[in-house]
Amino acid sequence: MKQRLHPFTALTAAASAAVVTTAAAYWPLSVAVALAAVFLAVRREVAGRVLPAAAVILTPLCLSLLVLHGLFFPEGQTVLAQWGPARVTAEGLGFALELGTRTTACVLAFLLFSFTVSVPDLVSALAGRRVPPQFGFVLASTLTLLPAVSVRLDRIRQAQETRGMVVRRGLVSRLGALRLQMVPLVLALIDDAGSRAQALDARGFGSPGPRTTYREVADPPAQRRFRAAALVFAAAAVAGRIVASWPAGVPS
Amino acid sequence: MSQSALTVTAPGQAAGRRRRLLEIAGAAAIAATYIFLVLTQPADIANGPASFSALVALGGFLLGAVLLIVAVLPVLPTSTVVLIPVALVLNVVLGQLMGSTGLPFYIDAIGTVLIAVLAGPAAGAATGALSSIVWSFFNPTVLPFAAGAALIGFLAGMAARGGLFRRFYFAPIAGFVTGILAGVVSAPIAAFVFGGTSGLGTGAIVSAFRAMGDTLLAAITKQALISDPMDKAIVFTIAALLAYALPRRTTFQFPFVRHYRVLAGKSPATPDA
Repeated sequence: MKQRLHPFTALTAAASAAVVTTAAAYWPLSVAVALAAVFLAVRREVAGRVLPAAAVILTPLCLSLLVLHGLFFPEGQTVLAQWGPARVTAEGLGFALELGTRTTACVLAFLLFSFTVSVPDLVSALAGRRVPPQFGFVLASTLTLLPAVSVRLDRIRQAQETRGMVVRRGLVSRLGALRLQMVPLVLALIDDAGSRAQALDARGFGSPGPRTTYREVADPPAQRRFRAAALVFAAAAVAGRIVASWPAGVPS
Repeated sequence: MSQSALTVTAPGQAAGRRRRLLEIAGAAAIAATYIFLVLTQPADIANGPASFSALVALGGFLLGAVLLIVAVLPVLPTSTVVLIPVALVLNVVLGQLMGSTGLPFYIDAIGTVLIAVLAGPAAGAATGALSSIVWSFFNPTVLPFAAGAALIGFLAGMAARGGLFRRFYFAPIAGFVTGILAGVVSAPIAAFVFGGTSGLGTGAIVSAFRAMGDTLLAAITKQALISDPMDKAIVFTIAALLAYALPRRTTFQFPFVRHYRVLAGKSPATPDA
């Protein structure tokens, strides 16, 4: 992986991995995909960011799945333990394991993509396709606006504190402090957006027609072939799953 | 102010019919997916983790959201497009600020509703769907809920068009109804894709319904009917308060606000231009 991947190649790989994992519904495969994603994250030196982000998302979800299906699974037959209405069943634990590993694999695959992709590359790759140019703008603008807003919010808080805003205990005081920070933030952002719209319009942002870009993203034929193969593989997995478990009551 | 850039999308454009078809196709994909999922939900999830339903839910809802974005995004005026990143940032930042007050709600749609109030249902729907897609860069579990977020934005815009934001007591009611619909539409995603809800509070409610013998979809739908309407009522109220806290000059520069008299009160004496 010396060479930088084309953004679409990485995206296709992540999406195909997620689709195949979902279609297969086989927890050893989910675990394998998750481990592969962790391994690639370590090799690309983003594990320090991917793993905490994944943990924040996955820990509450997996705990909730474990409690929900581990204790309450009315469809379960094999009862392992029972306290009043709560029954630990083998089927429930298996279900929690299947869904927990599946979601873990999908989340890790997508986070690996989003933490390794270069946003300028992605935006210029999108501009080359028939994607509305506004989409690329929204994506890039949001990703650059987020850090700027936290700086701005900090400044607004400091300004209000010098004007005497004190956050005391109690809901009313907290909501009042919230109002003092939210209103200036929203007003400033909307006002900025207005002037940005004029600047963009002056540069022909709203006019129809194809866009060109100064940034060339290399797209080697090998990566194109890989994308096609990954898409065919994912489609085959979906088709296989649909054929295997088409619901009985629906005419096919 | 360049008023031309702020006008409501002019109807009767050349590609207008194609876009209208795409919009209808997107809405139909979302509705058909929901109906299909409810009709064919696996009676016995013990047989496997509902992989077929998960694929149908993901495919159908994402297709609907993407069709809506493709239909709506190119016709939005620039002044609305630049508001979409603002809305997404507000969803995130205001959600975090609200979290700091210690209230037990995940208030993550304030920006979407605010944009819908200022710029209309189409902008609201596009904002909701795009928010989910862009936010999935940091949290991929948001992505499957794009259709629900689009529905929230659309309904908020329709409520604003109908004048429900002119009286402060109508806004929470509109939010309550929106929450019912959005919660019901999002429940199959939570049930079939994730197998539950993230968060221990909502998980406990689902567990209670499961203990009474409900199917997973029924339990999660009932949980959504308990938490989502309350959550959206609060979100709509905050968005209304924000819309009124903003200066008249700012809110009335949006043609949607002027044209449908979204907010109470007179427009500023002479809107410039």
